[in-house]
Amino acid sequence: MRGRLLLAARLLTGAVFLYAAATKLPDLASFAVDVANYRLLPAAAVPPAAAALVGVELLAGLALLLGPWSRAAALVASGLLLLFIAGLAQALLRGIDLRCGCFGDAEPATWLTVLRDGAFLVPALAVARFGRGGWRRE
Amino acid sequence: MRLLLQALLLAAAGAAAGLALNPLSPRPARLSAPVRSAAEAAGSCQLPGAGPVAPRITVGEAAPMCLACSAGFVDARSAAEFAAGHVPGAVHLAPGESPTAALLRLEKFRTVVVYDGDPFAAQAEAVAGVLRARGLTDVRVLAGSWPAWTAAGAPGESGPCPGCGVASSRLPEAMP
Repeated sequence: MRGRLLLAARLLTGAVFLYAAATKLPDLASFAVDVANYRLLPAAAVPPAAAALVGVELLAGLALLLGPWSRAAALVASGLLLLFIAGLAQALLRGIDLRCGCFGDAEPATWLTVLRDGAFLVPALAVARFGRGGWRRE
Repeated sequence: MRLLLQALLLAAAGAAAGLALNPLSPRPARLSAPVRSAAEAAGSCQLPGAGPVAPRITVGEAAPMCLACSAGFVDARSAAEFAAGHVPGAVHLAPGESPTAALLRLEKFRTVVVYDGDPFAAQAEAVAGVLRARGLTDVRVLAGSWPAWTAAGAPGESGPCPGCGVASSRLPEAMP
């Protein structure tokens, strides 16, 4: 049972990260503006950071879906989710009105977005801690 | 420890992959051009209704750019108004709509001109703000908007937005 839950957690987290990267890749220029609006990075660092972030999402998503290094990928995904939660929270606490930039659309950043990222963190941490899971009965 | 090393390696490889994939994106991030937040790029606080945010361009200046196809035009009115008549080659983008498809068509232009159906151009201001926030640098609002364009006898065409898959039909003469 635990193996199947971990498998579901791994596939869910992988799909979310892969989808997030796929929605940003067609318009990285706009995603760079979204990143800049968090007001955490110097302007010169924003474009490379935005491109790199999407690449990390993409690779973590692929690794989680395909299986190899899935615990490491889950650890990376957990780190990213913690980063997103911290970035969103600081922006909301500072009263910055911005798009979250989560899935390449115009979704505004709200405390619900923070909660959603918190919910995604649970399966990611579970895979990082307990492994990739599988179909076999234990 | 091994897990942590694998995670660091994965993150580094992902970052490198992201930078390598950037040029392949239809709208890549310009790595050498700093990107400031909307608040910093605006330069100063702007009260709602306190005046125009986007610089204006007159019909006299914009019409030659339209004929030479040297500027992108954005129509911020309703889809029905757009279909009834618009600046040739204009992209339809009403406030609140996703600008992603329009951006793909506009990024090749150095200058983008936005207009709506009202001489005060409130809708055009809103759309211009969105386009600037999405990375376009030279976005101007047409002074007097569509009423001024038609009053000056500047060219027009009718039909739905070509981005919707239906080609516009160019009018044989200037709009009335």
